Amino acid sequence: MNFDRTIAISNRVIRQVTKDHRSLALIIVAPVLVMSLVGFSLVDQEDILNRIAPALLGVFVLFFTFLLTGVSFLRERSQGTLERLNITPVSRADLLVGYLFGFLLFAMLQSAVILGYTVLVLPVLYQGAIWHVFLVLVLLTIVAVSLGILVSTFAKNEFQVVQFIPIIIVPQIFLTGVIVPVESMPWVLEKISIVFPLRYAVEMLVGIMLEGRSLVDFGTEIIVLAGFGIVFLIGASLTVRR
Amino acid sequence: MGVLRELTTSIPRGEICGILGANGAGKTTAMRLVMGLIKPKKGSITVLGDTLRRNNHDRIGYMPQLNALYQELSIEENVHFFARMYGMSGRQERNVAVDKAISLVELNDRRRNSVANLSGGMRQRVSLAVALVHSPELLVLDEPTVGLDPVLRRSFWDHFSSLSDNGITLFISSHTMDDANHCDRLIFLQEGHIVADGSPEELRAAAGAERATLEDAFLHFVLKVIP
Repeated sequence: MNFDRTIAISNRVIRQVTKDHRSLALIIVAPVLVMSLVGFSLVDQEDILNRIAPALLGVFVLFFTFLLTGVSFLRERSQGTLERLNITPVSRADLLVGYLFGFLLFAMLQSAVILGYTVLVLPVLYQGAIWHVFLVLVLLTIVAVSLGILVSTFAKNEFQVVQFIPIIIVPQIFLTGVIVPVESMPWVLEKISIVFPLRYAVEMLVGIMLEGRSLVDFGTEIIVLAGFGIVFLIGASLTVRR
Repeated sequence: MGVLRELTTSIPRGEICGILGANGAGKTTAMRLVMGLIKPKKGSITVLGDTLRRNNHDRIGYMPQLNALYQELSIEENVHFFARMYGMSGRQERNVAVDKAISLVELNDRRRNSVANLSGGMRQRVSLAVALVHSPELLVLDEPTVGLDPVLRRSFWDHFSSLSDNGITLFISSHTMDDANHCDRLIFLQEGHIVADGSPEELRAAAGAERATLEDAFLHFVLKVIP
């Protein structure tokens, strides 16, 4: 891996997104709007709101990072720049890590805005160490970026990337404890949710933010989420040049 | 794949070699094989003395048929980015190379314009600047003059000739005889086969007729293989 190339790729990703003002606004404004709707509609049901808000933080990071990476990488393929990159000495690792660093910045920026808004404006309970929350979100970003690159291999256009949302993202929102706690779901659905990375992120985010627990309490969840990240990264590295 | 059959040739250093053929004749496949983007089912390809493309990536410049540029970024951001991909990590060295490449394609006054706002011809010029920025020894250009007006086409060929004079090898695909006239050597492709290989003069002479043009020569060789 070449450090200068990796930094150049992440700089380029950041510039592309920041020059696209609508996308940038969408990353920040859309989650705040959704969070406001949820917050003000559940203003009298604090218990539910306190549980949903941390989980939504994970949902937004997964959803937007997956979508942005998928579409960006698809463009890279369709406009021929990936082919052009493939004939330079750039390695798979340079590409993957470059993309990861670039989108990590947006995921963290988005998380900081949502977290600030949720805690300061909405009446959401917040306990626990903030860097523990961000560490969980970093792991989730790795999962989302790798998944986005992987999925873009199977899409021929941007519309097809969007079609993956109901298959990959929506089931995770319903089955990973965002709306209903995993323990309250039917046995079959609970077992299915084991294969969804968001489940582990939601468990940790709710545990840290709502119950003030530490990451040390979530050894298994960290290992499983990191495992998903590694598996998807390997998958993405195998398909990244195609 | 499977478009090209029995393609055997070699290109000496410093030569401008044009590969010409109708649409679908296999020109782009030949370019992609040279670049190592696809592998031949049989045989081997040696580029700059090496069979492994990864050993000499930074010695080859490639201009694909698609402009293959980042639309949101400016001209200089695109050229800078690809210069870094070719390993030019030193800012000073890179600035000089980027300035030189942008000047060569005469886009200095628009260097901060985003590629999305450029005309087709200007994008072709940016694409050429990207292929040139790392001072490659071999330039592989896939239909570089498609869509260019006659003035720009002439300017491109002036650049190509001066590069060749400086010892750079150029492998250029085209389907226009105007381009063919500028090459030192021509390969005519038809349905994946080489039907002629020689200098423009040799090919004109082989066409038989007095004062044969390159178009006459091309049709002579191509029609021979079409029943």
